[in-house]
Amino acid sequence: MGFLNHLFSTPELEIGAPVAGKVVALAEVNDPTFRDEILGKGIAVCPTANQIVAPCNAKVDLMFDTGHAVSLMADCGAEILIHVGLNTVQLKGKHFTVHAQNGDHVKAGQLLIEFDREAIAAEGYDVITPMIICNTNKYGKVKTYTEKTVNTGETVIGLVE
Amino acid sequence: MKEFQYVITDELGMHARPAGQLVKVASSQPCDVKLSANGQTVDGKRIIGVMRLAAKQGQTLTVTCEGQGEEEAAAVIEEFLKNNL
Repeated sequence: MGFLNHLFSTPELEIGAPVAGKVVALAEVNDPTFRDEILGKGIAVCPTANQIVAPCNAKVDLMFDTGHAVSLMADCGAEILIHVGLNTVQLKGKHFTVHAQNGDHVKAGQLLIEFDREAIAAEGYDVITPMIICNTNKYGKVKTYTEKTVNTGETVIGLVE
Repeated sequence: MKEFQYVITDELGMHARPAGQLVKVASSQPCDVKLSANGQTVDGKRIIGVMRLAAKQGQTLTVTCEGQGEEEAAAVIEEFLKNNL
């Protein structure tokens, strides 16, 4: 990051945080689907807010009707999955409100999903929110910026072609 | 070409975990793998595509394997679906 990075390395496609909170490595996610990078490389956010926003300009590829996850085709070509909490598919939409539909073009920072993280946590679910680059193999490198506290939109992933 | 159909029995249908696992199984096959449901056909080796099908319990998934090892690929994928979806 910073100007040295811009001077000496290949430009990165920057992907912002989809939710405010602490950014951690996927290795810290207590679910092998994410931890073992079966869906691709990425990061996870321990959320401190209840809004999921678009991490970059993108088209909504699939808003799960349960509202617990959304996949995006970024304008830059990245295929991104944001998964709110672990095993939250089982909530079948409870505590989630969707704010975008399949096919919508959304701008970076635009609200996609609202969720009641206290209520979800109270039902025993881990609210950690992985964000995955599903087409990881398209990129030379997927850089991650973890172990920091971020607001939405701060760069958490850098894609190098 | 080897094609078969599978009716999803899992009450949660297709979501991130089975999609990821299915793509992993499909990607380990040398042949092309296509999945169809709800009038859409996607590349079975692309996670975002497989999720896009949004296939639910009771819906039919059509799997088409074409190319080298297609018979074995279809058998492996069918086995996976029976055990996981």
